Order: sequence, then C-alpha cells, then structure tokens
Amino acid sequence: MIKSNKPKTLTFKIKRQDDPKSEPYWQAFDMPYRPSLNIISCLQYIAGHATTTGGKDVAPVVWECSCLEEVCGSCTMVINGRARQSCSALVDEILDETGDTIITLEPMSKFPVVRDLWVDRSRMFENLKKVKGWVPIDGTHKLGEGPQESPEQQDMRYALSRCMTCGCCLEACPQFTIDNEFIGAQAISQARYFNEHETGATLKDERLDALSEVGGVSDCGNAQNCVKVCPKDIPLTESIAATGRQLTVHHIKKFFTGK
Amino acid sequence: MPPHTPHTPTQTSTASSSTPGPLARHHFLLRRLHSLSGIMPVGIFVIFHLFTNMQMVFPGKFQHEVAFIHSMPALLFIEIFGLWLPIGFHALLGIGYMMNWVPNTISYSYRDNWRYTMQRITAWIALVFIFAHVATLRWRLNLWGWHTPFYLDAVNHATGEVIARGDDGEPLALAHASTAMALQSSYAVLAFYIIGVYGVVYHWANGLWTAAISWGLTVSVQAQKRWGGVCAVLGISLGLFSAAAIYGAMSYEPTAQEQAAIAQLAGTDEPNIEVDHPEDHETKSPEDAGTGVSSGH
Repeated sequence: MIKSNKPKTLTFKIKRQDDPKSEPYWQAFDMPYRPSLNIISCLQYIAGHATTTGGKDVAPVVWECSCLEEVCGSCTMVINGRARQSCSALVDEILDETGDTIITLEPMSKFPVVRDLWVDRSRMFENLKKVKGWVPIDGTHKLGEGPQESPEQQDMRYALSRCMTCGCCLEACPQFTIDNEFIGAQAISQARYFNEHETGATLKDERLDALSEVGGVSDCGNAQNCVKVCPKDIPLTESIAATGRQLTVHHIKKFFTGK
Repeated sequence: MPPHTPHTPTQTSTASSSTPGPLARHHFLLRRLHSLSGIMPVGIFVIFHLFTNMQMVFPGKFQHEVAFIHSMPALLFIEIFGLWLPIGFHALLGIGYMMNWVPNTISYSYRDNWRYTMQRITAWIALVFIFAHVATLRWRLNLWGWHTPFYLDAVNHATGEVIARGDDGEPLALAHASTAMALQSSYAVLAFYIIGVYGVVYHWANGLWTAAISWGLTVSVQAQKRWGGVCAVLGISLGLFSAAAIYGAMSYEPTAQEQAAIAQLAGTDEPNIEVDHPEDHETKSPEDAGTGVSSGH
C-alpha cells in the first residue's frame, strides 16, 4: 500500500571493506525516494551515483545478487541489523516498520568479507560436502525406479528442500561464529533431508558420524533464532531435534554392536 | 614401527596436528554426558535438596530430614561420585563450551534467544554460587570474612565431644538454626543466595527443556511446547520451594543456646581456615565469631 507521507530522500549507511584483509569502514549515501524500491534497486542507484553524503566520489559499493526473487540466496546481507535477502527487502515496508529514512547495510558477519557487502559463503558448501548432502545415484548399473513416498513424507521433505543456502540461519545463530567449527542449521537440515530419502539414506550412517564430530549437531545451543529468520520457513529446529534423535539411536546401536 | 628418536620438534608437531585429542575424538559422547550429568545426578539432587530446604517452614521437619541424610551409609562416597565429580564434570565441560558463542539478543531479541542467553548467564551464576555455597557451608571455609558453617547438631564430630544438649538430653539440633544464622548473617549473603538459587533453578528447568531437544525426545514444535510446560511447572515448583526455604530460614530466631553452640563449633573450624586474612586471626575468638554471625539481623 502506498502511503502519502513518504520521504523525499533515503540515506544508506553502508559498512564497506576494500579487500578481505583490510579494516571495515562506514560510508553514507543519499538517494531520492521512489515508490516500490527494494534494497537491490537502491544499491543499483548508489553504484551509479557513487558519491557519499559528504560529496566524496568513491568506488561503487560491491554486492552480490542473482535471481532477484528470493530463491538463490546470494544477495543476503544484514539490513538494519538483521540478516535477509536484499531483493525481497522492500523499502516501503522497512519505512513502515522503522519510521526511519536511514537504512543500514552490512555484510554478514559470520562469513569472510570479499569486498563491501559481498561475502564468501563457501563454508556452507564445504559443510554440505561434510554431511554428504546428495543422493548417491552415480554408477554403471541400472538403479530401477525411484522410491515411492507418502504425501506426508513429500510435504515434510519439500519443506526441507526449499533451502537456498543463503546463510540467514547461520548469521543469526549465536553458536555459529566466523572461526569456530559449528556446522549450523543449514547443513543439519540438509543432512536430515537426504537421510529421509530412501536412496539417500544409504549414506545415513556416514552423515551421522560426520554430525557427531566437533562442530556437529550437539554444538547447537537451542537459541532457535535460525527458524525465526529463515526466509523459506524451513522447520530448522525440528530438523535439529530429529537429527539429534537419529544420533541418539545411531550411537546406542554403535555402543551395543561395538562398531 | 621403526625405532626413532623421540622429541624431535617435527614429530611432535605432526602428531598433535594429525590426531585429534581425546576431547575431540569423544566429542559427541562428552556432549551427551554433559547433558546427562546436568539432569542426573545433579538436577535430581537439586530437586531433593530444595525439597528438603522447603521443610524449614515446618518446625522440626528440616532437622529430621538432614539427620536422615547424614545417617545414610557411605555418605562421602555418594558425595564424591554422586555430586562433586558430576558437578565438576558438568562445570568444566560447560566452561569450555561457553568459550565459543557470540550473544546477539540486541539484533535478534526473540524470547528463545533470551532464554538461551540466560542459560549461559545462569551457568556462571551457578558456578560461582555452588562453589561459594559448598565452600562456606560444607567445607566450612572462611572466605574473606564470610564464615557461615552448617552444623547438624552441637557435636564436634572431629572429637566426638557434645557441646550442648537439648531438653530431651540429645545433642542440641542445629540444622535449622545454623542455616538461619548463615542466611541472616548479612543482606549480601541473603541476596547472593536468592540470585544463586534462582539462577540454579532456571538453569535446571531450561536445561531439562533443551536436553529433550538435544536427545531428540521432543522433535515437533508442538512437543517442544508441551515439554516446555512440564519444565515450567518444575521450575516454578522449585522456585516456590526455594522461597519457602528462604522464608523458613529468615523467620527463624536462633536461641541464645543455639547461637552459643554454633559460635563454639565455628571456633573449632578456625585451625583449618586458610583463606582468611592473616590480620583477622589475632582478634578472632569463638565469641567474636558468634557475634559476627548474628550481628547482621
């Protein structure tokens, strides 16, 4: 809904960093308000008018984006202190929520900064490899038809399949720091996703062993921020608890079978 | 293995970097034991402890309960393996786990995030409180002038000497009186106990809630909510027990005979005191200790 009391100017305070090793610094940019802006279109304007509020010409702000419809996760950044996608962060909604024409943009703090708002999220990909986040179907022999799934099972797994590896859950997690080993909600939920697949479950024991190591599921502190910030409404805390249950069973079995 | 010369720097460095230490190799087991030790025996003990303390609101019952606990066989064995080792294990691992988190309740001020943060704050409170509580009451140490020892009865158990007898001819019962004098010794001690006890109760109730998630008992949000209700009832009950105990201790007026007996027994603790300031030793006599304990009413 377009309200009449919209401002003439927006101010963006942006946390910038020239390269992975240099110190971050803040710069402010003004731009004229238009209806129906999202943060990406604001960043595009600022890139085209790279002059700070102090009148200094600077290098354009760098950020990452791709799909512009909240399915790729690459434009995730910290907007007014909270991690979310900048494509689906609508300026009109932010103005209604905060009543403030100053909007702060920061890179996510839990991943190494490449430049400005662009971070290196490869830790999430490495974690997916750690938990073998795939269905093993590569081979020379015919595997036959895929397994049948009940509608309930489909619903449950569809919810988990929506993960776009954006990193919001990890940015909001107090247990996940930039330099510790915690694997976080994203990889745990994906491990559950593939453990619940009939063919994917052939790697279940290996996944559970990987999730038992330092930084595994047991390092979760149950702050439950992950599920609240997830833009895809993935039941992340249920995934963590379900994987905890699989681990309990897995280790009791191992204890008594001696494997 | 071929013979080799030990202690070369390259060998030690490769050995330490390639093989994970025992803490890392048994990470999952240690985490689960950490969770388990908080519930059993430590948490179960806290329930019985506060239930016993609550009986200070019923005259005579508290003495009876404490006497029963003291009459248990192999009490020191139970204490060491049922309490001190599990609490020490839970505390040591917990300190290690708490080195690795960043609070973010300002940006993400969800109730659950506060609950999580409070669990870590109350862990530190519980650590300091339980140590000071055991050191001053159980080990009868004098921590910087804070000397509030607990006595079951007016018997010097080191020598077997009976210091005072009650009307029934038995050694004078002191459990309620010495607890009362400990809590009444100063408002600082009272405040410390209130913060400490409620910190412990919170840590226990919330820990029981999160343990059910960690072990995979409560998977769905619905189940977690239900179990949250159970844990809240437990926490509130223990909170009420604690309030009753504190009321029972604060409202009790120790008799002159009880005060004198406690002062005399406290005087016998003196040779064991190591933490005390040296200058305090000269002026401290049993009488001084007695008046010091009862002066803060």
